[in-house]
Amino acid sequence: MNSLMIKTLGFAALLILATIFVVTKLNIDIFADSVNALTIAGAIAVATITSAVAAKYINQMKTDTTSGKLAEENWDGIGEYENELPSGWAYTFLAVFMWSMWYGLAGYPIWAYSQIGEYNEEVLAYNAKFEETHKNASEETLKEMGESIFLVQCQQCHGATGDGLSGRAQDLTKHYSKEEVLNIIKNGQNALGAFPGGMPAGMASGADAEAIAAYVAGGFKGEKPAAFAACASCHGADGKGTPMVAPSIHGYDIHNVVSKGKKGKIGRMPAFGSMITPVQEKALTAYVQSLAK
Amino acid sequence: MFHWLEKNPFFFASAISIVISFAGLIEIVPNFSKAARPLVDLKPRTVLELAGKEVYKKDNCIACHSQLIRPFKSETDRYGKYSLSGEYAYDRPFLWGSKRTGPDLHRVGNYRTTDWHEAHMKNPSKIVPGSIMPAYKHQFTNVADIETAYAEAVTVRNVFHTPYGPEFKSGKAAWEAHKPKVLADAKKIADEMQDEGVKKMVAEGKVPEIVALIAYLNSLK
Ligand code: HEC
Ligand code: HEC
Ligand code: HEC
Repeated sequence: MNSLMIKTLGFAALLILATIFVVTKLNIDIFADSVNALTIAGAIAVATITSAVAAKYINQMKTDTTSGKLAEENWDGIGEYENELPSGWAYTFLAVFMWSMWYGLAGYPIWAYSQIGEYNEEVLAYNAKFEETHKNASEETLKEMGESIFLVQCQQCHGATGDGLSGRAQDLTKHYSKEEVLNIIKNGQNALGAFPGGMPAGMASGADAEAIAAYVAGGFKGEKPAAFAACASCHGADGKGTPMVAPSIHGYDIHNVVSKGKKGKIGRMPAFGSMITPVQEKALTAYVQSLAK
Repeated sequence: MFHWLEKNPFFFASAISIVISFAGLIEIVPNFSKAARPLVDLKPRTVLELAGKEVYKKDNCIACHSQLIRPFKSETDRYGKYSLSGEYAYDRPFLWGSKRTGPDLHRVGNYRTTDWHEAHMKNPSKIVPGSIMPAYKHQFTNVADIETAYAEAVTVRNVFHTPYGPEFKSGKAAWEAHKPKVLADAKKIADEMQDEGVKKMVAEGKVPEIVALIAYLNSLK
């Protein structure tokens, strides 16, 4: 050991002692947990090794002389030895080179990272979680959720309050009046995209039609008129609709109109398809039906 | 072995660029050329829609609207499916835009309708309270340039092989033969509109800008 090595190691020891001094001053118990202990051990190792290696090379610079064969070319008198590559370096280089060939020709093209792929996975996971969380959402939650969806997707046509912007779209603040139901019974309707066949005209007439219309427009309250059987075959005994056959006439049937659209007397409502998820649809139903009360 | 290269800076630089661009070539080019191909069921725009696209450019809708839905959940929830580069294959130029003062319009055809656009373009703040979008009343009287739109279709067919049918030929005769189809498309739009002036112009064989623009907006799906 020469004096330089001793001096640098002394310096390292000083560094370590100073570190421990500061740490204890900060009231940190070094041996309280393994991470602290490991950190200090690491600090000691770094200080010692750095000083030792620095000392070794400084010594070498003092005593080394140059030797070996010079390469042909030199730049303004500065030459280069034709030394062999250090073997560790050369093997690492070769390994990296081979890995990059594999990565460029096979790894990347075949197992490429895809932003879209990540998006798809995230959205699938998120949607599943969303549907799960709100599977049994309370009516209040659904209504609030429905209102915010309505303000993003529906208010441009139906108005922020759902009033239909003076006749530009369905006024959702009220459901069909007795006259409107009578009109539908009399003329039939083929407007909802979900039911290509539509509803035939004249399913009831005269006093029967009057009684049914009053019952439907009145929100299915009171005694059910016997003639409602004519409607029940399609709309169900409770008027809540039959899938693929007829929509619910208990307030607005959100599912059918939102997924498949409607082209009626007022105008055209676009089909939102799968843009509205099942839970969102439930939320919209809760919200829109609360408007008409 | 490479001492020769080291002595010749020019060749050394060339060799470095070859090595470095290799990675770029195999990673970027194949993906890029694949993504830029038109989607399988992609159809080029009709002449009326092309004329509408010119109105969109002329009235600078791109200053406030983008046409590029990014794959972020917040965007796809609102606008629909994220955009694919293959969808723009026939757009020259594409109108991605980079400013969203108003909403993205790349799929606006899915959730807005002809009569909604009509009322909105005439007076946006009447339909959307507080809207800062300007009203475009002049589009209801200005006549759209369907001849130039037809010429554009013929040109991209000849130059880029955009799949317009063989009936798209240059010359007055071919245009006269195609014109009734454009007017029929325009009439379909005008029938769903309320403005009497627009209906009258279409009946006279003229296409107001608003009709072409709405045809274009409806085609954004
Ligand atoms: C043959 C099956 C059938 C019968 C019977 C029937 N409906 Fe319908 N109804 C439909 C279909 C299908 C629709 C959707 C029409 C459409 O496409 O717009 C509909 C729509 C309606 C609507 C409008 C719903 C909406 O959201 O726009 C009302 C109201 C209605 N029916 C009431 C009645 C009444 C009252 C009766 C009994 C007199 C009746 N229906 C009998 C099939 C039927
Ligand atoms: C582009 C305009 C537009 C948008 C956006 C729109 N609607 Fe409509 N909607 C209409 C029009 C127009 C009608 C009336 C169709 C008719 O009967 O002529 C309508 C009708 C309805 C009806 C009545 C359907 C029936 O059974 O009679 C409901 C419910 C409804 N919309 C709900 C919604 C909801 C919920 C949203 C948002 C997800 C929405 N709308 C978005 C234009 C729109
Ligand atoms: C000064 C900026 C500005 C310009 C220019 C502009 N818009 Fe808008 N646009 C808006 C804003 C803000 C909204 C949102 C409020 C509204 O719906 O009116 C909007 C909304 C829209 C919508 C409704 C989109 C939706 O999802 O509800 C359409 C369609 C539209 N603009 C078309 C156009 C067209 C076509 C042009 C060119 C003729 C145009 N805009 C020019 C600012 C602008």
